[in-house]
Amino acid sequence: MNKTLYQSIFLVCVCLFFTACIKDTDFDQTEDIALTPVVELDLIYFNLRASDFFDSINSTPILTVSDTTEIRFLDDSTLQESLKRAEFYFKFTNSIPRNFQVDFQFLSETNDTTYVAGTFVSEGLPAAPVITEYIQNVEGDDILSLTQANKVVVSVTIPSSNENLEGTLNLKSKTTYFLEY
Amino acid sequence: MRNIFTYILSLVGFFAISQNKQILYGFDDIPQSLLVNPGSKVTQKKHYGIPFLSQIHFNGGSSGVSVYDIFKDGNDNINDRITQKIFEMKNTDFFTATQQLELINFGWRARNEIYFSGGIYQEFDFIAYFPRDLAILAWEGNRDYLNYSFDLGEISTTGDFMTVYHFGLNKKINDKLTVGARLKLYSSMFSYRSVNNTGTFTTRLGDENSENIYEHTVQNADVSVETSGYVSLRDLDGASQVTSEILGRAFFGGNIGVGVDLGFNYDINEAWSLSASALDVGAIFHSKDVESYRAQGTYTLDGINLIFPPLNEGDPTFPYYDDLEDEIEREIPIDTIQNSYTQFRPVKINAGLSFGFGRFDMSGDCDCLNMDGGKLHKQNLGLQYYAIFRPKGPQMAGTLFYHRRLTEYLSAKATYTVDSYSFSNVGLGISADIGKINFYLAADNLIRYSNLAKAKSVSLQLGFNIIIDEE
Repeated sequence: MNKTLYQSIFLVCVCLFFTACIKDTDFDQTEDIALTPVVELDLIYFNLRASDFFDSINSTPILTVSDTTEIRFLDDSTLQESLKRAEFYFKFTNSIPRNFQVDFQFLSETNDTTYVAGTFVSEGLPAAPVITEYIQNVEGDDILSLTQANKVVVSVTIPSSNENLEGTLNLKSKTTYFLEY
Repeated sequence: MRNIFTYILSLVGFFAISQNKQILYGFDDIPQSLLVNPGSKVTQKKHYGIPFLSQIHFNGGSSGVSVYDIFKDGNDNINDRITQKIFEMKNTDFFTATQQLELINFGWRARNEIYFSGGIYQEFDFIAYFPRDLAILAWEGNRDYLNYSFDLGEISTTGDFMTVYHFGLNKKINDKLTVGARLKLYSSMFSYRSVNNTGTFTTRLGDENSENIYEHTVQNADVSVETSGYVSLRDLDGASQVTSEILGRAFFGGNIGVGVDLGFNYDINEAWSLSASALDVGAIFHSKDVESYRAQGTYTLDGINLIFPPLNEGDPTFPYYDDLEDEIEREIPIDTIQNSYTQFRPVKINAGLSFGFGRFDMSGDCDCLNMDGGKLHKQNLGLQYYAIFRPKGPQMAGTLFYHRRLTEYLSAKATYTVDSYSFSNVGLGISADIGKINFYLAADNLIRYSNLAKAKSVSLQLGFNIIIDEE
């Protein structure tokens, strides 16, 4: 009697073990898992003096100065797939008594223009700098154009200049990348 | 990225456990209890493990999250559940997995009354602590965490794959005391560790004097990964080549280590007995096929500073981006080092206090399980303590147990364990002798067996032996 009882217990334990299961779960939800980090990252910065807009040797104004930098991660295939929106933020602090036109031209590796942006910067005074903020939101099809680029050309244009012009034009900028993996 | 994440999540709850064999400890009817305490009482004359079947051990656990927590069938969004868990879990929560497969196990009592035992087993052991800050950074990004220092030191993980050759002695010193020791030789097939890391990553909002909007700073970073047995695998082609290379190292082809197990059992009086053991007190000396990677330094990123150099038509400007990359590599260099290193094994401590009652005497005239004159109790009740020394300190567990000899052929042990995973871990082990064949099965977290997805840990040992009792 006892032996039968113990054997039954033994069998129940073995059955319990081999019938262990996983239930009330749905692993198809894996498809829905999405990492959606929002990354803040500095972009470019510069300090242009009023004298940069005047060639003192030849006594001629330089109305446009420009510079180029690579942003190599922009056309990376991972970013191309995962970038949903990008928000550029530019903060100009201008103490030069002139307006400026600042243009950003994004170029692909083969130097084709893929995306352009630009803004007008208000004039300031050496004693009273004026801040101009500019936000450029990129989403939808524009993301595709933006992520074809891997460099940006920054052009700063002054309407007129002379050797007595004073002050600086400062830029700070960052980008907010809205990603989804 | 998503695939990696899914993979990690799928491991959760299936693989996380911490080497605690609370059911096997002190379960003298099973020869493998000698591997948990080399000084435990031995009741048989000889034993042979059935090759490859004498001990199959699997243990996995996750202290902070179960599969059900993430994948439960519900109307709420899986991403909300993951977010909630990431914030709930602490950086001391961990995922662990251990697997052991015994190839050979044998033992016999010599004329001098020493019980010799030895064997070979293969072991895989893995632990990863939850890097909470990095999980938040990957999951949410840095926008909502300005001025917060993400801790790079939360990265802490080790993994080992090895063969263990062991030989031990067990001797009853007097009526009360039994002691034992086991020498172990480790042959490491593959090993990695990344521990004792430091450093922070912070995004600060700059002020008027800052170069740019933000300052992204990596401060005092010192992050390293040590590997052994990895470099020679890297160049191999395909899974079959990797498998044959790794298995080739099982027979002392890899890095060698040495260690000991020590243990005793002391009968305080007829009813009470005390036992303890320390396992894997030793180290592996990694000198062959070693490669380590170490990144250290401090760096603040401000973005790219354009200086508008006066250029002639067609002149290239400065290589700002290349310069930036070079600067980062200079300030936080990643060194590849081939130095050998010593890795201490995770020491395990077991202790038990047992109260026995009811004389076990099935047959009346022949007390077959008790030929050496000692007392076997029909029932034992007691407490056990377990600790394993892991990179971030010991992980401990306390167990209440009840052991009962049901018949001459069948005994069982039930346990209730409190550990890092839960307060509701009930386990059961049985040992059955069918002729000379001994079969045992021990599993814990039985309450969760009806739905393993809800379990934060699962532990299982089973095996077959041939036991020859004293005649």
